[in-house]
Amino acid sequence: MLKVEHITKYYGKNLAVDDLSFTVKSGEIFGLLGSNGAGKTTTFRMIMGLLDSNQGTILLDGKKIDYSVTDQIGFVTEERSLMTKMTVKEQIIYYGRLKGLTEEEIQKKLDIWLEKFKITEYKDRKIKELSKGNQQKVQFIAAVINNPKLLILDEPFTGLDPINVEQLKQAIYELQKKGCSIIFSSHQMEHIEQFCEKLLILVKGKTVLEGYLKDIKENYQKKNIKIRGDINKDEILTIPGVISINKKVDDYEVKIENSKVVEKVFQKISHHNITKFVVEEASLNEIFIAKVGESYDE
Amino acid sequence: MMNKFWFLTGFSLKKKLKSKWFIIVNIILLIAIIGVINIDNMIKAFGGDFSNTNEIYVLDKTGYSYDTFEKNLTTLNQTLEMEYTFDIKEENRNQKEIEEEMKNTDAVLIILENSDIGYIKASIISDSYIDSMYYQLLYQTLSSTKNEIALSLTNINPTELAKLTSNIEVDRVLLNDTKNTEEENMEMIMGTVFPTVILPFFILIIFLVQMIGAEINEEKQTRSMEVIISNVSPKVHFFSKVIASNLFVLLQGFLLIVYAILALVIRSHFGTGSTSNITSQISSIWNSLVASGFTDKLIYIIPLALILIILSFLAYSLVAGILASMTVSMEDYQQIQTPIIMICLLGYYLSIMAGMFNGSILIKILSYVPFLSGLLSPALLVIGQIGITDVIISILVLIFFNFILIRYGLKIYKVGILNYSTDKMWSKLIKAVKSKEV
Repeated sequence: MLKVEHITKYYGKNLAVDDLSFTVKSGEIFGLLGSNGAGKTTTFRMIMGLLDSNQGTILLDGKKIDYSVTDQIGFVTEERSLMTKMTVKEQIIYYGRLKGLTEEEIQKKLDIWLEKFKITEYKDRKIKELSKGNQQKVQFIAAVINNPKLLILDEPFTGLDPINVEQLKQAIYELQKKGCSIIFSSHQMEHIEQFCEKLLILVKGKTVLEGYLKDIKENYQKKNIKIRGDINKDEILTIPGVISINKKVDDYEVKIENSKVVEKVFQKISHHNITKFVVEEASLNEIFIAKVGESYDE
Repeated sequence: MMNKFWFLTGFSLKKKLKSKWFIIVNIILLIAIIGVINIDNMIKAFGGDFSNTNEIYVLDKTGYSYDTFEKNLTTLNQTLEMEYTFDIKEENRNQKEIEEEMKNTDAVLIILENSDIGYIKASIISDSYIDSMYYQLLYQTLSSTKNEIALSLTNINPTELAKLTSNIEVDRVLLNDTKNTEEENMEMIMGTVFPTVILPFFILIIFLVQMIGAEINEEKQTRSMEVIISNVSPKVHFFSKVIASNLFVLLQGFLLIVYAILALVIRSHFGTGSTSNITSQISSIWNSLVASGFTDKLIYIIPLALILIILSFLAYSLVAGILASMTVSMEDYQQIQTPIIMICLLGYYLSIMAGMFNGSILIKILSYVPFLSGLLSPALLVIGQIGITDVIISILVLIFFNFILIRYGLKIYKVGILNYSTDKMWSKLIKAVKSKEV
């Protein structure tokens, strides 16, 4: 279990992370969200022991993170951290040895992972000769070759096609089942929604939203109504609590202030020819934009 | 952590040794060293011939100079170890006939004539250019011939002639008890030997500085550094790079010595043997060194020089590593390494010109300065301008300097290694030095 308690980090006079706390249990996938410069990478670096925090503690299974613990952590960085002149095998052995594994152990695990990602034929190929997708797979293998207790994934799906995204997702789920704690960062909210049970949104180093995804969505007042049929847009916009109405392919999407508005909308359109009326929770993307926007306005 | 240190060191060293450029450079070096030492044999092997007979036609219009000229030519050729072979013919034909025969050949016509001003005068005629060494030999032979004839024409008896032509006896006295004349001779010899010995050391420093920068920058540019530093401390990473690079240059230095020995072995087995110019020159230099008692001093000169060289390698690699950590690309590093290379170059020039600074306090002080001392101190010790004590001071200064570099350099390295900003590099550097973290 990873426990981050009240960490604060300054770069000179600039506050990068402000009193950040969260917990990631074993087998849990935790989403750390934030716009660029929000403090995500700084947080990851502090967890990895690359940076010292000015205040607070970070514990993995009750132990302060130092070089005796980092062997149990896997890290997929946002930018590809691969030495492109090396072959896939050399690169994985290099990183694996730095994790304290023997060459034999690495070779065995490498074969399994290459098989899983269907890239066995690239084992002795130089990394610079691989496609971006395959390079990302290699980077992922390098991060998990040590069966980490904690895996940090900073934008792991960047530049991947849907097939590769799916392969990587399956691998992440497998690790989760084995009890690996995973911290996940992505700008693609659909990935976070799919993966993370728990999340935290950072704005300028400060936590603006934290909790279980389900609770966050439930507690978020604004909802969306999907309507299919002949309706009068202007008529709906006059209802108090309706924020906007937009046509999306066959449906109209009505954004409302809270669930109390649902009934008013339904009453207004009930005399029209309606074939669909679905109330949905706001997407994480909307919540994220709203929360980050509010914080910037402040 | 020690396992990881040795893994990183071994990995870095193996990577260098297995690299194509290392193999190519060493093949070139091996060929170049063997080639330079065996250049005459190689030219012969490809059809060239150093023992080509030089045809000389002598038209002796004086009637008495030919024998003296022939004798002097042979003697001087041997004395100056010039290895020319001659086919000398005394000619009775007229000049035009000989010149006609000489066309499109390397033959030389020498015309000896009486002269009212200087007893005899001579002309050297050839179809084309002749090499300057050969011309000098002919010129000196003609001068000696003229002197001998002049002396004999003035009716001086052979004993007087011998006295007149013999070299002046010079009794060299040095008032300073610590100096001896053999050392003075050796100084002259070292003037030619030392630049050759010190050049590989200079080149290896350049190698070292380049190598560390390239390796650290590669890891930074590919962002592998974050993964590496998350598993090993910057300190372990830094020392693994420094140690691996130093081991590499020491190995490269050792290989250079092996190549030179191999080239000499090839020469002695397949070369021209005792007549060889290089071998005889080496023997001559070695004999002079033995005579001067220098070889006895090698017992302390070699270990002291080795310690200085190793400590200097360490100092250069520490600085190169620290600076490389502050840069984000090889282009940045190329710029930042220029001062180090310039200092190294200064040390090299000072060391090869060391003999010119006899007694200079400045040069003695410079020999204590880290970065310069590795090149300069051994040179000054060899030519006797500084003593063992001075070298020991240089070593102690270098040890202290390396300690300071490690102490403060590690702070810079820790900050720089994960920093990708190119702004205000020097202020970051100063801030890092002032930080409490090590």
